[in-house]
Amino acid sequence: MSTGAECASGSLREDERRTGLGHSAGAALRFLLTCWKVNLASAMEYRLSFVLLAGMMFLNNFIWLFFWHLFFERFPAVQGWELRDVMMLWGISAGGFGWASVLFGNFHRIASIVSSGQLDVYLAQPKPVLLNVLASRMSVTAAGDFVFGVVIYFLAGDLSLRGAMLFVLGLLIAGLLFMAVMVAAGSAAFFVGNSEGLSQQLFNIFLALTTYPSGIFRGFAKLMLFTIVPAGFISYMPIGLLRDFDPAFAAGAIGMTLLFGAAGIGLFRAGLRRYASGNALAMRS
Amino acid sequence: MFALRTNGLTKTFRVKRKQPGLAGSFRSLLKPAWEEKEAVRGIDLSVAHGETVAFLGPNGAGKSTTIKMLTGILHPTSGDAEVLGIVPWKDRNRLAFRIGAVFGQKSQLWYHLPPMDTFDLISRVYEMRRSDYLARRDDLIDRFELGPYLHTPVRKLSLGERMRCEIAASMLHRPQLLFLDEPTIGLDPVVKARIRDLIRERNRSEGTTVFLTSHDAGDVESLCSRAVVIHHGGVLLDEPVEKVKREVLSRKTVKLTLSESNGAARLPPIAGTRIVRAEGRRYQLSVDLKRTAIDEVLGQLIGRFGLEDVTVEDPDLEEIIKHIYGMKKETGEAG
Repeated sequence: MSTGAECASGSLREDERRTGLGHSAGAALRFLLTCWKVNLASAMEYRLSFVLLAGMMFLNNFIWLFFWHLFFERFPAVQGWELRDVMMLWGISAGGFGWASVLFGNFHRIASIVSSGQLDVYLAQPKPVLLNVLASRMSVTAAGDFVFGVVIYFLAGDLSLRGAMLFVLGLLIAGLLFMAVMVAAGSAAFFVGNSEGLSQQLFNIFLALTTYPSGIFRGFAKLMLFTIVPAGFISYMPIGLLRDFDPAFAAGAIGMTLLFGAAGIGLFRAGLRRYASGNALAMRS
Repeated sequence: MFALRTNGLTKTFRVKRKQPGLAGSFRSLLKPAWEEKEAVRGIDLSVAHGETVAFLGPNGAGKSTTIKMLTGILHPTSGDAEVLGIVPWKDRNRLAFRIGAVFGQKSQLWYHLPPMDTFDLISRVYEMRRSDYLARRDDLIDRFELGPYLHTPVRKLSLGERMRCEIAASMLHRPQLLFLDEPTIGLDPVVKARIRDLIRERNRSEGTTVFLTSHDAGDVESLCSRAVVIHHGGVLLDEPVEKVKREVLSRKTVKLTLSESNGAARLPPIAGTRIVRAEGRRYQLSVDLKRTAIDEVLGQLIGRFGLEDVTVEDPDLEEIIKHIYGMKKETGEAG
């Protein structure tokens, strides 16, 4: 028979193992890898659904591009934008949204998780709550978005090493900005109660605005696009990052991502103090 | 040494008060009215290492809210608490490595995956050494007899099978303190008994402190050495279970159906027994075990009547709490 003291000494050894930044990063990475493995296994439980959902999203994006193709046949250039730029815009937007949703699929569901009291299980585990929540879901449809983004790059992108690196940077910024904005918006649920609808509306607006060339907006609309709803930092990427690399734009995009990221993390952490839980039945799927 | 200690632990929620109907909804939209609801009212409690404590109370008494504060899920409005020497809401992460929690209504198992996959994930969550995890997992699989369901998706398991997996998952990292919130809810008597055995065995073999909420008097009797009853957010009673059993759990409920051959027979008075309900041939009796043994009552009934059906049950926990509340009130008034 082991005693409580022996259990405690076992825990102390665990504590010793958990010291150091290197170990923490390693443990977080191992945790994330296992999360993604489990999510993928869960998504593939329904093979046909998995393939159909991902495939249909891929097709859906192509249909939109087909409409843009019809448009540019009549008007070859709009405010300096050509079909190739719009294709890359869709590639960046869908690709960035895709990887973020595949790896951190709960990023646009924060408001719903908070207001329905589903944070309990995450809060009971010794892991950063936000990271745990974000990585606990994989969007199957978004796999189609990501593949679409990559295919578009091979069809219309700059295939040189520099071009590939800039495209990867674009995908990275776009995905992180999607997550940062939605975590900040979703965390409002801690303060204003059921903000699920509001958060979903903002998500739809943000997503839609990232798929229109930023050049068509002027004045106040453009100001909004580069501040409160910073979709412009994604939709201008085909020009400011990929076609004519503009360091000021790149720095602005990275800065805005960091700013919204910090705001999202700060709001989420402050919100945890106000979390009220709930009695809804909850299963992890 | 205490496993947990609370001092004046209080939690107040701000709740919107709405008049019924559509007009009430409009009024609430234009001029919302709020009220403060005190879910937990100044709870003072201490639990020693290795104790098994039943934390009881009717719905809305504040049981789950207290557990959520003790696990760091909720921040209290006022008061202090220490669990294994840690303030839960200040150092939730460090505490979580040392405690386990099972919320009967909130699963930590992945719905579409077999329990084995969740166990793997949990080993990463708790940063267990691979060899340690594998040995521990195999031991729990053996003791909880999980072998047949390990590779079946959770959605296809029965509630009892799922709860066994759920409790095993919460024990993987060898928690020193286990919080169980309604672990036997919705389970049949056989599965309940099995789960109680497993929890008791872990308490004895590993010295795990158990803090359990339940609506089932059977859980309390068979698992716990001490009962803490709360009502309206405050502690109403804190006594050893043996004493509670002697003084409060001294009644059993007997439900019986007389066979048709008894015609219009009426049950005669039996010493220490009160007829609670009578509908045709069906009776519900309350037996005072301090005055008469249950086998005596059954013996008398079987000797004099033909019985179609008979069950013996513990009284409903709500009834027990009403009884305790009544006793306390009387004591208070007498004092």
